[in-house]
Amino acid sequence: MTAAVAVGVLVATAVHLLLQRGQLRVILGFVLLGHAVNVLLLSAGGLRRRTPAFDGVGEEVVDPLPQAFALTAIVISFGITLYLLGLLRADGPAGDDGEPAGEDESADDRSAGEPAGDGDGR
Amino acid sequence: MILAAVLAWQGVLAACVPLLTRRLGRDAGYPLAAGFLLAAGLLLWRLPVLLDGREVALRWRWLPSLAVSAALRLDALALVFALLVLGVGALIMAYCPRYLGRRERHTGTYLLLTLFATAMLGLVLANDLLILFAFWELTSVLSFTLIGQTGASAGTPAVRALLVTSGGGLALLAGVVVLALDLGTSDLARILAEPERLVGGPAWAVGALVLVAAFTKSAQAPFHFWLPGAMVAITPVSAYLHAATMVKAGIYLLMRFSALFGGRPAWDLTLLAVGLSTAVLGAFLALRQYDLKALLAYSTVSQLGLIVGVVGVGTPASDAAAILYTVAHALFKATLFMLVGIIDHEAGSRDVRKLSGLPRVMPATALFTVLAAATMAGLPPTIGFVGKEAIFEALAEAHHVPWSGPAAAGVGVLASVLTFMYAARVVNAVLTGPLRQPGLRGPRRSFVAPAGVAAVLATALGPSVTLLSSLVQRAANDARPQGEPPYLAFWHGFTVALGLSALTIGVGALLFAFRARADRLLCRIPTTASLADRFESGRARLLHLGALVARPARAAGPAAFLLRPVLAVPLLAVVAAAQLGPLPPLVGDPTRPGDAVLLVLLVAALAGVVTVRSALAAVSLTGVVGLLLSVWFVTAGAPDVALTLMLVEVLTTIVVMLVLRRRPSRLAPRGSPRALLAGVALAGATGLAAAAGTAALTGRRDLSDPGRFLLAEAAPATGGSNVVNTILVEFRALDTLGESVVLAVVALGLIALSEVGRDVRTQPAGTAATDPVLVFAHRMLAPVMLVASCFLFVRGHEEIGGGFIGALLAGTAVGLAHLAYAGAPAPLLGRLHPRPLLVAGLLLCVGVGLAALPWGRPFLTLGKVGLPGGLALPFSTGLLFDLGVYLIVLGLIVAAVRRLDERPRPAVTGRRR
Repeated sequence: MTAAVAVGVLVATAVHLLLQRGQLRVILGFVLLGHAVNVLLLSAGGLRRRTPAFDGVGEEVVDPLPQAFALTAIVISFGITLYLLGLLRADGPAGDDGEPAGEDESADDRSAGEPAGDGDGR
Repeated sequence: MILAAVLAWQGVLAACVPLLTRRLGRDAGYPLAAGFLLAAGLLLWRLPVLLDGREVALRWRWLPSLAVSAALRLDALALVFALLVLGVGALIMAYCPRYLGRRERHTGTYLLLTLFATAMLGLVLANDLLILFAFWELTSVLSFTLIGQTGASAGTPAVRALLVTSGGGLALLAGVVVLALDLGTSDLARILAEPERLVGGPAWAVGALVLVAAFTKSAQAPFHFWLPGAMVAITPVSAYLHAATMVKAGIYLLMRFSALFGGRPAWDLTLLAVGLSTAVLGAFLALRQYDLKALLAYSTVSQLGLIVGVVGVGTPASDAAAILYTVAHALFKATLFMLVGIIDHEAGSRDVRKLSGLPRVMPATALFTVLAAATMAGLPPTIGFVGKEAIFEALAEAHHVPWSGPAAAGVGVLASVLTFMYAARVVNAVLTGPLRQPGLRGPRRSFVAPAGVAAVLATALGPSVTLLSSLVQRAANDARPQGEPPYLAFWHGFTVALGLSALTIGVGALLFAFRARADRLLCRIPTTASLADRFESGRARLLHLGALVARPARAAGPAAFLLRPVLAVPLLAVVAAAQLGPLPPLVGDPTRPGDAVLLVLLVAALAGVVTVRSALAAVSLTGVVGLLLSVWFVTAGAPDVALTLMLVEVLTTIVVMLVLRRRPSRLAPRGSPRALLAGVALAGATGLAAAAGTAALTGRRDLSDPGRFLLAEAAPATGGSNVVNTILVEFRALDTLGESVVLAVVALGLIALSEVGRDVRTQPAGTAATDPVLVFAHRMLAPVMLVASCFLFVRGHEEIGGGFIGALLAGTAVGLAHLAYAGAPAPLLGRLHPRPLLVAGLLLCVGVGLAALPWGRPFLTLGKVGLPGGLALPFSTGLLFDLGVYLIVLGLIVAAVRRLDERPRPAVTGRRR
């Protein structure tokens, strides 16, 4: 049952973050959603067996296939997270996380350079 | 073989275009013209074979499972069209160098024109329906790009041309599919040889679809409106594609399929009716134009209509007439376009009302214009005269319904009279009047020469038309074998056709003499709003409808998007709960004592993530969640997953830190309380649904069959004892390869994102302050991490580890380096570039996979490889594959770190701290 509860709280938190303002929250929500899916994948293999899969079939040895899936899922969602972070960077401070960017020294020449103008001069 | 050689030669020419334009600039057209002539010569070399009634064919089984062959065939009909494509192509290529501007290289124009010639050649040589269709579409697309190249104003006409012609392409595709399914073959020659096999509904469907395809391509009413719009393209393109060749593809298709449908009254009468009415309509519209290019465009519509109508007559003589007139039209229309281009180029106008006195400064241009216009009007002794004679004779033989012969001939004469009138208008504009532009100068000889060659050829081929006779006869026979077509001759004696020619010229001359009155009369005939305008407004309405449909999906924030899929989860859960029957009992006890402790910690961390306002705290707490889950994975018997997740968490945190260094440290303020409450409610419902689903659907069976198989077989089959790793790199290597490609794509995306601001690359060392603590940590830790990374990678096959894990650890070292040196290039690790890593990784993965093929094993068969001489590699090729994965993952991390660590701009750098 612990796996089910873990999936539940992870998904609830993730959805809560996804539906709020601010891109960083969305990214964190995405990461948590990935965690939830990984827990679900492992519990789909059955959590009664918990001995790592190194020496053939045994009464306690886990099902290795969901673990392979989870590994793939982790790496892919890691890639997507990196990309989302890259986009966050491209958006610059204006696109997210409300706090007005104090003394925005480079606002005047932003148009000439990187459209991703992350120039909050801090 | 010769056919493949010619197509390959054309491909080589296309490939050489960039080289040629780099060396010769706009003069690259001359070698290309020579290349086209060489290809034409190669095809002509087979002429004796073809005249013998044999054919040149090539067949290469391409997709045996679909029974598709890359089949090519050259018969006399294909040869006529191929020679048109290559011959006119050579003239156009020789015309381009003086037409195009001196400054640019025009690589795009030359490349597209060469590719277009190749596509047309493929189209007429294709002996398989699918090949035919592919080349057909290619010509449409190339036409679109060539029109669109002209500039922004060409956008609308280019799109219109593409929509109409590719709409016809879709019809052709549908027809081809129906034909291939009904007859069980896509072999064109076989299909055409047995027309009686196609009957009933499929026959009607295919016939109608082929007609739509041909009519759109050849600009027949009511699809004719795209062609005048396409005239915004530069003159060589108009002359080549929209007068001489591409629009003839429809004629070619009709002639080919006449073998299949010819003699069926619906087919013949449709061709006659549509063709002849287009002939009159086009000529009528041409007479209302003052722009020479627009006049020629409508004239093309009209002449193509005449040819389509003649194909509908369906006698050996009519086929010969259609082929002969296709040749004649290509010659004189391409010439006229080239000459109008010269006049426009030199005099700066194409308006018949503004041109005046040209013979004084450009006598050769004026002379050739007169010759070409005479060919168009059908005056003796040109090939136009012979062609018109043949057409009148053929039309008079139409026999489908009573009086159809005289009626068709009458309409043909009417169209020809109108043709005579606008030809006379062209000549009148070019020849008469005083010279009004004092600075006007004649074109260079090399500019006029290609048009002159074609004009002289068009004139001289009239008296010597017997030269063409055997080829045209053979081609007509190839189109549909139904008897010997008449021998072509310049003089047939006093026939009906000669009388009709005389009538045409007489009435035309009379109307030209009273042209003021005739023009007034013509302008009084009312016309409806142009079809092009209606087409555009219909398209605008369609786009508007699309915008309406898409409106809900165009919200500014992500929440509105994410709301719908999230909402679907609880809804699906409710549906599933209602449908679900009794569940099997749980197998064993899935919980362990430690689980509850971890769960409590997890809930606490998650509560923190939701409530904190600081971005740093939220990120750190998310990292804690990941670490807690890693611990749980260890207790659940998944050490590989745990290690990977842990490294991913560390790395993600480092990368986020890189981002946060230059961002506000607080999260965005929350939304309104109402929105927040709704979000909490939805989050609760979704979480509940997920928990219920997990509880209901997992842990209710023992070890899965694949799991049992893998546990039992992994070690003996692969020699590795880490089952999870062997699954990734051996059993499911293709999945892993796909996944690596996804990562490489993400990395490329990140590289592309950072190239948006190319000029604001990382700053030279020394301008940024480094963090002494982190630098020390990096110096101590990085070597350890790299060694550990190699160790984890190598032992992955046997123990915990592998490519992913190793690369994540190495990536962590890279991230740490960037964090420590704060944007200044870190020693060694900071100099890693993502692209070589990605390329090497992908090549290694694919290469290892392909290496299995020579041994007759499937792609990505990995394992220990025996070397010649009884030796064996000490490791499995799986290790090499894993190394590829390692490099790709490392490349991704390097790309991300570099992207996120980039300095925004030099100005900010100095003031950062």
